[in-house]
Amino acid sequence: MEPILTMKHIRKTFSSTVALGDVSLELWPGEVRGLIGENGSGKSTISSIAAGMQKPDSGEMIFQGQPWAPKSMIDALHRGIGMIVQESGTISGVTVAENIFLAELDQFKRFGVIDRRAMNRKADEALAGIGVKDVQGSTPLAALDFQARKLVEIAKVVMKQPQILVVDETTTALSQTGRDILYDVIKRFRSEGRAVLFISHDLEEIMDVCDTLTVLRDGARIRDFKKEEFEPDAIRTSMIGRELQGDYYRSDFTPSRLEEIALKARHLQSGGALKDVSIDFHKGEIVGIGGLSHCGMHSLGKVLFGAEKPESGSVTTADGTKITNETVAMKHGIGYVAKDRDVESLALNTSIRDNIAIAGMERYALGNFLVTNAKEKPYVDRQIESLSIKCAGRDQLVSQLSGGNKQKVVFGKWIGRGSEILILDCPTRGVDIGVKKAMYELMTSLKKEGKAIIMISEELPELMGMADRLIIMKDGVVMKEFPRSESLSDAEIIKYMI
Amino acid sequence: MAQTNLAKKNRTRELLVALLPVAALLVLFGALCLTVNLKGYRLDMYLKIVFNEGVVLAVVATGAIFIYSLGSFDISLGASTLFSAAIGVMVYNSTQSLPLMICTIFGVAIGCSLLSSVLASVFHIPVFVTTVAMMSVLSAVAAQIITANGGALGGIGIPATVVAPLDNVPFKLIALLVFTLICVFVFDFTKIGRRLKFLGSNPVCAKLSGIKVNVYAIVAFVMAGLGVGLGAFLTLVYTPSVTPTTAGSIGMNILVAIVFGGMPISGGSRSRIYAALVGGFSYILLNNILKIVIDSGAGYGISQIVSAVFFLAVVYVTSMNYRTKLLPR
Ligand SMILES: Nc1ncnc2c1ncn2[C@@H]1O[C@H](COP(=O)(O)OP(=O)(O)OP(=O)(O)O)[C@@H](O)[C@H]1O
Ligand SMILES: [Mg+2]
Repeated sequence: MEPILTMKHIRKTFSSTVALGDVSLELWPGEVRGLIGENGSGKSTISSIAAGMQKPDSGEMIFQGQPWAPKSMIDALHRGIGMIVQESGTISGVTVAENIFLAELDQFKRFGVIDRRAMNRKADEALAGIGVKDVQGSTPLAALDFQARKLVEIAKVVMKQPQILVVDETTTALSQTGRDILYDVIKRFRSEGRAVLFISHDLEEIMDVCDTLTVLRDGARIRDFKKEEFEPDAIRTSMIGRELQGDYYRSDFTPSRLEEIALKARHLQSGGALKDVSIDFHKGEIVGIGGLSHCGMHSLGKVLFGAEKPESGSVTTADGTKITNETVAMKHGIGYVAKDRDVESLALNTSIRDNIAIAGMERYALGNFLVTNAKEKPYVDRQIESLSIKCAGRDQLVSQLSGGNKQKVVFGKWIGRGSEILILDCPTRGVDIGVKKAMYELMTSLKKEGKAIIMISEELPELMGMADRLIIMKDGVVMKEFPRSESLSDAEIIKYMI
Repeated sequence: MAQTNLAKKNRTRELLVALLPVAALLVLFGALCLTVNLKGYRLDMYLKIVFNEGVVLAVVATGAIFIYSLGSFDISLGASTLFSAAIGVMVYNSTQSLPLMICTIFGVAIGCSLLSSVLASVFHIPVFVTTVAMMSVLSAVAAQIITANGGALGGIGIPATVVAPLDNVPFKLIALLVFTLICVFVFDFTKIGRRLKFLGSNPVCAKLSGIKVNVYAIVAFVMAGLGVGLGAFLTLVYTPSVTPTTAGSIGMNILVAIVFGGMPISGGSRSRIYAALVGGFSYILLNNILKIVIDSGAGYGISQIVSAVFFLAVVYVTSMNYRTKLLPR
């Protein structure tokens, strides 16, 4: 048997950064290969080279016995390798159907006019093909949330029946329903003798989904694992080059908090997203908020930060101030890490320095006005250092960072300014286990300093592992509150989610 | 070792790209000297023209950088230059007070800018509509004032002696320099400027970082108004009379100048004040060269077409560079 894809001695550099030193990789028919490694280890780079998004500096690729040099991602998809990218790969100004058929609108042209009905029907079929029923081809993409957009992207790629599917760090943005859809797609690829390259930072997931596993570190292929060799500690050790202690969540199981309330939500009502939501958030408390993607938890995060206006109800701080917009929220020490990182949390074509400084300037600007290099550079460097952001320097553009390192920049932006109340929407999305551990430790120490932390997440283990109190939402309603406890079980929680 | 070499090479390349507009300026300067010489015209006369036109364009464009850094634009700045100069002349002629005239010019210029920004940001009328409307209204009103008061001459003016003491190179250079320094200071070393640039880079993220979009749009327009005011005053210093065509094309020329200066029209963090300075003079040089070379031979207007083509080429190249950096990761 021949591999479907062989990549030999691939090298890729970005000015002074060596993203891939000399990496070789094969994908066999029916194989689901996992790719794991720390942030910036080169996973997105190697897979996007295979999928035609960028070209290697040197090296050779053979796909189905032929030399492989796709001109673009679209070209690659048409010829047999499709990729789901790490961040949003859809365009928000147009409909779902137009997103799916972007590169081939011509096929729906009748006498020079696009037959939208036919296109929408085809799009509905493509979506149904992967088991998505609640998204229509005619819907404007802007009306969809992050998860639904990802599903549109998956439908678009799978519809082309590629021989190889590349999935780059997608699952952490999906709730269980979304994940199940993707897992079904992967199973289908395996049983049909096609192949999948699957990137994730979730060790359990990757061990569950994949048949083989390749570990990358600093742009080099470190080791391969076969299914029977899968063993979390061994994989972790080879990822980071040293041993990491097994569990990284909080070790205590007693809920604790200060008496004082930091933020009060009262009778929040917002379309279908929030229905009469009232919650008190205490100082020194980590409140976890979980549920399915549509349960309203992401809207809640926005409303708490003043970024979305509720139809009725209020958010007030300890001193009675109403949070009506982002500026007021920030004045009262609230910070917000948004879920849609590349759009809402970062200005991509701007330096790390500008992105971190933009929220923290008040802290060092003279007279809240004059910004000097002498004050700003050390401030930014401190964040880069304390979060160990892997970059060429503070002036590097954020768009050039790996996914996890972008997330660290967002953290630096909000933690650096000393936020008293942190609203974190999917905070550990795309970050590797080492960084996750650091972030959890950071959350614990912020809690000890008396800060209020609101953690919205799709990851149940993370919520159970960190929260003093776990709030489960469903259809905009708070269904249940669980205090932190050792005896809490997934099954019990999930009951209230679905 | 190899890595640092590579990094150095890269930095050199970035520096070269940044210096490209300056190189273009120098080349154009050489070209002007050459063409003027070949035609046997007087170089000192042309340098004077270029200097005077260049200072005005550079000043107005420098102020306009604040608007352009938001990824927005304003082509009515030429019309408001004309309008404020016209009102300034009227005020001088009825009060005989130079200080009052100067205050009026700045007041009117900032007032026009404020009006544009309020229309655009508070009432959410698309910039492209407000700016065209402002341009038409302002130039129509100015023309009306000028023809109503200028009589058969078709222009109004202040006595040349009033501003004659200021009509010299040092004064204009100092005015340009001081204004540029103020703008650089605000743009790069204050919270206001930094937030403006960030807003231009990603408005959604800026809003979620506590930046009040409307407030900063107004700030940007006020800074542009300052540039317009100074530009209008310098125009009067150079030619103490105002006709309906005075400063007419500045609105469009700013756009071209800023792009010539190496700033992306999408604004954001790569916005630079010096783009207006370098680009302003480059544009005036190019314009004068084209006038000498083409208009003396062929029909009028070809120079406009040539500079338009040039402009599109520059925009295309810069935006191409920009697009390749937008890969989703
Ligand atoms: N366009 C670019 N310009 C400069 N450096 C880049 C660029 N793209 C990637 N890099 C660098 O290459 C290295 C590998 O990046 P890559 O995105 O492949 O990491 P990754 O393994 O996908 O990480 P993550 O888990 O955080 O997504 C990183 O150090 C990154 O900063
Ligand atoms: Mg990646």
